[in-house]
Amino acid sequence: MARDYDHLFKLLIIGDSGVGKSSLLLRFSDNTFTGNYITTIGVDFKIKTVSIDGQKIKLQIWDTAGQERFRTITSTYYRGTHGVIVVYDVTNGESFANVKRWLHEIEQNCDVVNRVLVGNKNDSPEIKVVLTEDAQRFADTMNIQLFETSAKDNLNVEEMFMAVTKLVVRSKLEMKERQSVTQNDTVNLRKTNKSGKKRCC
Amino acid sequence: MPVLTLQRSYKYIMYATKQPSLRINQDDLKCTNGCGYFGNADWGGYCSKCYRNHMEQERQKRTRSTSSSSAHHHHHHSSKSQVTSFGKFEEKKRQQTDKKNKYLPVFRKTSSAKGECPKEDYINHLNVILLDSERSERQFDVRHANPDTDKLNVEFIAQFGKYGEAVRHDFFKCAQYFTTKIVHEMNLKLIDELAEMAQKCYVSYMTRINGNPHYQQVPEGVREDLLDFFEKYCMISLYTFLFCPNTTNDEEKDLTIQDRIRKLSWVNAHHLDCCISETSLEVRDLVYTAINDLLGMDSMKAPQEKLACVVKCCRSVVEVLQHCQGGPVSADEFLPALIFVVLKANPARLKSNILYVTRFCNDTRLMQGEAGYYFTNLCCAVSFIENLTAESLSMPEQEFQAYMSGEMTSVSAWESALVACEGMHQLCEHLALLKGLSERTALVQEESNALRENMKKLKEDINSQVNEILDRTPLVIKQRTMPVFLLRPQPKPKIDPNESQPKNFYLKNLQFDVSHTQKSKLQLDITPCTQDVQSDNLKISKDFLSPSKDNLSLAATPEENSYLGLSKINYDIDFSDISADNSVAEELTPEKRSNFTPDPFSPLEGSSCHITQSPLVPTTAHQIPKKDDFVLPFKQEGTKQNEETLLDKEESTSAAALPSPLKPTTSQYTGFSTQGWQIPSIPCDTGESASKNKQ
Repeated sequence: MARDYDHLFKLLIIGDSGVGKSSLLLRFSDNTFTGNYITTIGVDFKIKTVSIDGQKIKLQIWDTAGQERFRTITSTYYRGTHGVIVVYDVTNGESFANVKRWLHEIEQNCDVVNRVLVGNKNDSPEIKVVLTEDAQRFADTMNIQLFETSAKDNLNVEEMFMAVTKLVVRSKLEMKERQSVTQNDTVNLRKTNKSGKKRCC
Repeated sequence: MPVLTLQRSYKYIMYATKQPSLRINQDDLKCTNGCGYFGNADWGGYCSKCYRNHMEQERQKRTRSTSSSSAHHHHHHSSKSQVTSFGKFEEKKRQQTDKKNKYLPVFRKTSSAKGECPKEDYINHLNVILLDSERSERQFDVRHANPDTDKLNVEFIAQFGKYGEAVRHDFFKCAQYFTTKIVHEMNLKLIDELAEMAQKCYVSYMTRINGNPHYQQVPEGVREDLLDFFEKYCMISLYTFLFCPNTTNDEEKDLTIQDRIRKLSWVNAHHLDCCISETSLEVRDLVYTAINDLLGMDSMKAPQEKLACVVKCCRSVVEVLQHCQGGPVSADEFLPALIFVVLKANPARLKSNILYVTRFCNDTRLMQGEAGYYFTNLCCAVSFIENLTAESLSMPEQEFQAYMSGEMTSVSAWESALVACEGMHQLCEHLALLKGLSERTALVQEESNALRENMKKLKEDINSQVNEILDRTPLVIKQRTMPVFLLRPQPKPKIDPNESQPKNFYLKNLQFDVSHTQKSKLQLDITPCTQDVQSDNLKISKDFLSPSKDNLSLAATPEENSYLGLSKINYDIDFSDISADNSVAEELTPEKRSNFTPDPFSPLEGSSCHITQSPLVPTTAHQIPKKDDFVLPFKQEGTKQNEETLLDKEESTSAAALPSPLKPTTSQYTGFSTQGWQIPSIPCDTGESASKNKQ
């Protein structure tokens, strides 16, 4: 099919409110920072096309509301999500403590989802409270990849998003392989949907 | 080819709206009847079997109470009652079998006119379709009755017509197959199964587009558009069946959420930690735009159109936020704002719309893209509203309850202060406006005064100029007074009788002349004239022949006389050829005299008077020949008479005084007095002749 992309993935950014989810998104999609830039409409819905191993991959990234009060309703966002980016604020211990809850929520809503852990606002060491070692230890126990980024200084942002994309592509290819093995090298869209449905909830 | 691991999704939404807590105990999901099977919130917590029994009981109870009422009424009643999926479905089937024959003609008739009220028409449609299917599995003909069909056909041809007849043919074939299938299945399957069918249909049509040789001409990019149009076409055709169907409790959900939102009307942006400044005029306009967009969703038929409305609404919300906080908008701010807008809009049939879109919109669109994102947000907003508690508004439970029960009004101290502030702000604005207005009014007044002054000045200028010109011009008038004074006495008295009784005068003269031609003229002339009052004056004049002119002129000077004279003179002008003065003359009728200013018209001084008099000279001159013609025979006789009456000089003079009033021309008097022999020619004589005679 002659489209302008080979894969289309939906990524979700979750995390407490104020940890810089939107800033990360903005930095990645527009390469701008929140402070001095007024974007046009559709700020919280971003599409960016990246290239991995010669494949064009279209990423659409959904920003979510992080407030506690919306915690129960955000499950709707998880539909058809391929990857989730869990963000905390390295200058805010509470946001890191809440990561556990966020991961738990992912598990609840979808079990085959590629996740990464992101400690944002890693630009002023003097006010950093979540130490990299602690975060790394936690990431290891949860079997999740950790990135420390700064949307403000454009640190590690691109890398983090690329890593997620790679994860998603890999898992998709794996799934494809599995299916082709079971179904004699035929790819069936509908079957894929069904298998996804079985696994979720 | 991208393989999307998409999942049937509407269940998530339903899940989210029903479970405020993250975890629900398994026992909570069990049938409330305690049979051990899992229950369903849609069925009042019963499992399918218990719910069916429950509904059966309910139905029996109701039929007992309303057995007397008609089936139609019953039908309406049931649609509004708590009956849900199964019950309604069964009830309807039962009713259809019972009443089908009875209502057949009615339904046939009404089916042709498809209205906007889906609830009412739904039953009719259903019956039509059932009847049709029973007859001979006829092709689904709702399509032809749908008013949108023609429009859609046109749209299709405009968009995809260029890809050939084969595409069009296949498209409509598929669409008809799909719609017919759905309509046939809709009483046998639950709405979710129908939704599944629709999704499968979209997928199979997509594979058809990609595989079928008919569609080879269609470029890749357009194929998705074609699929979208397929969805749109089918859904508009099936809208009345699939939107808020009778087999579900969608309508109840609508009413519930509507009621809920109404109860939450006190929630403001502050409660939601939302930065919408309700007091800003621009922001308020934008919020209204967003609300309007959201309200517009209900009027759309195709799921994608409804989604477009949601996207529009959300974009407006983003705009609002950008306006309020002046930077990029994150979901942290967006969701509360959207919730606020939904609360303020309270859209009609909100739940039905959302469910309709989730069921029948192509899943791929719903799960990705901008529309999907915003629709998801809307679902979240609605679910938040449904599960809203004191905690989620971060306020004490008591306060929340007070608000909900209406004990407390929404005006908090902060809000009242805000309102007051706004009031003050508006007051200031209005004051400024008024000030500006008053300034402008003053300016206008000033200018109007100046204008008035100018006008006055202009008027004065014009007046003075006119006066000046008038002062300059009287020359002409004075010139003419001179000859008038010389000649006036002669014509004037002569004209008077002409005026007063011109015909009579002539007639008399004629009569006299005719009847008494052989008699002496003196006597004849005297007799008719005796009645006149003015004779006194004339008598005086006869004594002094030459000064008599003066006397007469003096006698004429008294105003009355002058006016009389004027009017008469003017009247005389009628006989003359000067027509211009006629109008003036007519106006100078005796009745109007009083209004006249004496000065200008007085014969002595008044210039205009002189003007009017001036024509006398020519008139008399003119009249002379006329009268000459008229009187010629008399004149000839008169000449003879003159010879005869030379002896009667004494008598003639005395007698002359008498006829003069009728024709008080001095000339005549002079004529009489100076030359008694001329008497018979009195009527026709002119001053000139008289003067000649004198000479």
